[in-house]
Amino acid sequence: MKKIYLSFLTILFLGALSAQNTCTEALEITAGLHTVDTVDGTEIPLPICAGNGLGASNGEWYLYQPTDTFEVEITTDLAQNSGGDTRLHVYTGECGNLVCVDGDDDGGDIGNGYLSILEFVAYPEEAYYIAFDNRWNGNGFDFVLSEVEFVPPPPPVPALFPFTAQPLDLEGSLRGVVDMDGDYLDDVVSIENDEVHLGIQSDFGLLMTSLPSVSPDNSPSWSMAAGDVDGNGWNDLVYGGGSGATILFRSEDGTSFDNQYSDEDYEEDFYLFSQRSNMVDINNDGALDVFVCHDVEPNTYFINQGDQTMEFFQGGLGDDDNGGNYGSIWIDYDNDCDIDMFIAKCRGGNNVIKINEMHRNNGDGTYTEVGEEIGLADPVQTWSSAWGDFDNDGDLDLFVGASSFTDGEHKMMINNGDGTFSDITEGTGLEGFEATSIEWTTHDFDNDGYLDIMGGTGHIIKNEGDMTFTISDVDFWNGPVGDLNNDGFLDVVANGNVHYNDGNENNYLKVNTIGTESNWNGIGARITVYSESFAQIREIRSGDGFRYMSSLNAHFGLGEDTQIDSVVVRWPTCNVDVIYNPDINSTLVVTEGSSPLSADTEPEVSLKVYPNPAEGDLFIDSSENLIGNRIDIFDIQGKRVESQILNSNSIDVSKLQSGNYILQVLIGETAVESKFYKK
Amino acid sequence: MLLIVAACTKDEDEPEIDPNKPNVTDTTTTDTTDMATAVHVVLDSLPYPNLADYNFFIGDNMADLEPNDELLLYEPITQLFTDYAKKTRYVWMPEGESANYVSDFESFDFPNGTVLIKNFYYENVLPSNERRVMETRLLFKREGEWEFADYIWNDEQTEATFDLSGSSKQIDVILDNGESLSINYKVPNDSQCITCHKINESASPNGPKPQNLNADLAYQEGVMNQLMKWAERGFLEPTYPAEIETMVDWEDESQTLQNRVRAYLDANCGHCHKQDAHCSYRPIRLAFEENDRDNNIGVCVPFDEFVPGQPMGMENIIDAGNAENSMLIYRMLAEEENVQMPLIGKSVIHQEGVELLTDYINSLEQTCN
Repeated sequence: MKKIYLSFLTILFLGALSAQNTCTEALEITAGLHTVDTVDGTEIPLPICAGNGLGASNGEWYLYQPTDTFEVEITTDLAQNSGGDTRLHVYTGECGNLVCVDGDDDGGDIGNGYLSILEFVAYPEEAYYIAFDNRWNGNGFDFVLSEVEFVPPPPPVPALFPFTAQPLDLEGSLRGVVDMDGDYLDDVVSIENDEVHLGIQSDFGLLMTSLPSVSPDNSPSWSMAAGDVDGNGWNDLVYGGGSGATILFRSEDGTSFDNQYSDEDYEEDFYLFSQRSNMVDINNDGALDVFVCHDVEPNTYFINQGDQTMEFFQGGLGDDDNGGNYGSIWIDYDNDCDIDMFIAKCRGGNNVIKINEMHRNNGDGTYTEVGEEIGLADPVQTWSSAWGDFDNDGDLDLFVGASSFTDGEHKMMINNGDGTFSDITEGTGLEGFEATSIEWTTHDFDNDGYLDIMGGTGHIIKNEGDMTFTISDVDFWNGPVGDLNNDGFLDVVANGNVHYNDGNENNYLKVNTIGTESNWNGIGARITVYSESFAQIREIRSGDGFRYMSSLNAHFGLGEDTQIDSVVVRWPTCNVDVIYNPDINSTLVVTEGSSPLSADTEPEVSLKVYPNPAEGDLFIDSSENLIGNRIDIFDIQGKRVESQILNSNSIDVSKLQSGNYILQVLIGETAVESKFYKK
Repeated sequence: MLLIVAACTKDEDEPEIDPNKPNVTDTTTTDTTDMATAVHVVLDSLPYPNLADYNFFIGDNMADLEPNDELLLYEPITQLFTDYAKKTRYVWMPEGESANYVSDFESFDFPNGTVLIKNFYYENVLPSNERRVMETRLLFKREGEWEFADYIWNDEQTEATFDLSGSSKQIDVILDNGESLSINYKVPNDSQCITCHKINESASPNGPKPQNLNADLAYQEGVMNQLMKWAERGFLEPTYPAEIETMVDWEDESQTLQNRVRAYLDANCGHCHKQDAHCSYRPIRLAFEENDRDNNIGVCVPFDEFVPGQPMGMENIIDAGNAENSMLIYRMLAEEENVQMPLIGKSVIHQEGVELLTDYINSLEQTCN
């Protein structure tokens, strides 16, 4: 009350004397509301501490002497000033020899946004001159000076994700971290015209080499993806360029890229403004196809015809006339074992093109756009979204990272388990995260068993494991991700360096997939790793984020877990392989069909479950005493739906949805299985 | 620029332009124009297969681009850079129709049937140092919507045929400054046209707005203010305001650096970086009506997205006083198709534009925090 009273007196005093026309006549003020009648003082505030340069001819001068160290805000961004246009400067020093502390012209939000807001730390030993000028007009206005107790900034926290940079001596446009020589160890890929420069991972670090290519019709300026399109055992590349996309085929001996196919081969001068490109088996025929987002037209894709021939299509997978397609990512969001596609969309102005889309696989090679009904039809301006199981509950969630806040902010969308999504951003620590970028990807960078998020131009956001997140800085921007020194910790290539992850004590598992019925890379495979503390999922993807190609190897952090119960690989064919008790801190190679999940094999221990079909209690009959052993129940896609220690000879399955299940009992290192049907 | 106009319109055989178009409501007026030379526009039939079908350009050699009397020449005060191509522009409206003023910064509200015609050519194309017309682009308005057409000139320069699928043409040219330049000239397709020509995804013209036309132009019959000429010809309702906030010619060195920069940014960047346009989600506003503010042109404004290869110390779109550390300059100087600005419509760096922006940024006295 006292301050308001004082302000009131000050206003009266101002009106009476109006003595603030020059620096030396500056009127001393304290915190509170003040009124400038007209900016007509004779001394122009100089130097100019705010934007928009010269042009003022008059000023109004105030003097402020803080009584303590304060966080001071001076604002004209007040409702009563709406439509006004102010500029202000704050100085220390002496009249005639002033030094800028700070200034502001158009920091306000009210009205046209041309009002001013300024914050600075004021110290009691200094005197501050506050001056307004008539850069835009001399109209009067109110301003408020407020003081808040100064809280010193907290000391910097140690980097949550320590990396060590090593310069990368590789020419061209850096685009990928992915295995290129068939040893499942990630390599670095950089493109320069008709040369594919590689940093090949070896025991001696990255060995630089180059493979020649045919002169490509397009460059990977907008994106690159990798995978073995022709099935000859070598990864091919797709270049997403500004007016077309080109698939470069690796020769039989792997020493060059000796063939290409482009949209221009389908139609001369066909215009494809490529954005994100992906390799994925769109029609689930076992051969990789290529998808390319079109910026300004309906999306395009190349369907594999075998023998390095492709059939090109436009339409049917995101058909907005003017496009707006930036970040396609192929994922199985509804756990139905076929691959779906989400598109992060973007477009200025008032339109529907910017609304994100989900194209659900109907299971027959056709797709239906369902963004609205599943809660993902968001107009936020985004160029890519990070898809992963952030809460390790067996389904994919997504972080919709904004490229601009014009049409909404970042969102953490959690999968409700029924193929719909809910916005849970508030309370996660992601709300109010002010950095933007076009790249958003997710990986477990500290091997703690929880997926972190990389994006926002120089940030990795740590997943704390309870769906809260901590923003952390790194001294590089987004780039392709993989393990470039085979230490089980993920590295990033960006800003001309390889940023090697310093790692920690946590354990890990890496999984390489070899498709047989499915595509050779196993792109689209879902891998689930069960360990003591976690059930984690990853998918093999060619093309995430916006521009780069990251590793085709699945990487799992295990935290302090020292044992893995099982690794379940569900292939694009829906075939399932299960590997029990693989070593931690190693790389597991899984070939499709090599370890099928099946109840047909003759177990040494007999196991029978009844009644079948089951409804309530399911009884277990065995030659062994199973009480005290762990049992797991999997659905037919290999997803674990139940896990418990058996304490009687029956379990309650009434909560399971109706369908086919496999019950598995672990006896030592042997797993014994039996099928049953739940009504 | 005015010299070019004179060069294109000084044909002695050209009949004088009738300054008085028939009155809108005077239905009794008979058109005395010879049908053989009248402009031929039947909206339902557009676009025609050949440019010649319109009768826009008359004379024995169409490539001379001698305009039909029914066309009115116009010239934006500051023009878009298109790989140093020279351009002439004309407007045609159906008899009795006229456009209305909307605001200083918006295109006129044109009547249905309006056709905007833009020729792109080079004066000295190697090896024979000949003039070559590259393309003639049309914007026409039908049922309230603007539509695009493009006519590509053949190598013989005898005809121009409709093609809106986009293409490119490698040419070597000698510029006005005597230097030779190799250009992969890009002809746009329809989706590229609309990328730069739209408001809220609806097609619209960019050039013919009062603030970029309100200046004198040398016509066949003498120098005149363009808006007055449009009104005199009946192409513009004469109800537009007397005072119009007008751009300068960015090449006019007698103007202030800031005004030249504002004009340049408007013509070259403002069609995407303005309210409701393709890239309006980015923080900069480069159209003339918004680019008088440091905040809006990116002075000390951090960028939303990094681009590959960008130095890490570069933090602002414009780093006041330091052009070299400004993303705007970095992207104007870039040659990679995913980094260069503008993203489409050019394939070579506009050195003079870069110099203008560099001078301006280096002249800014504040310091970005």
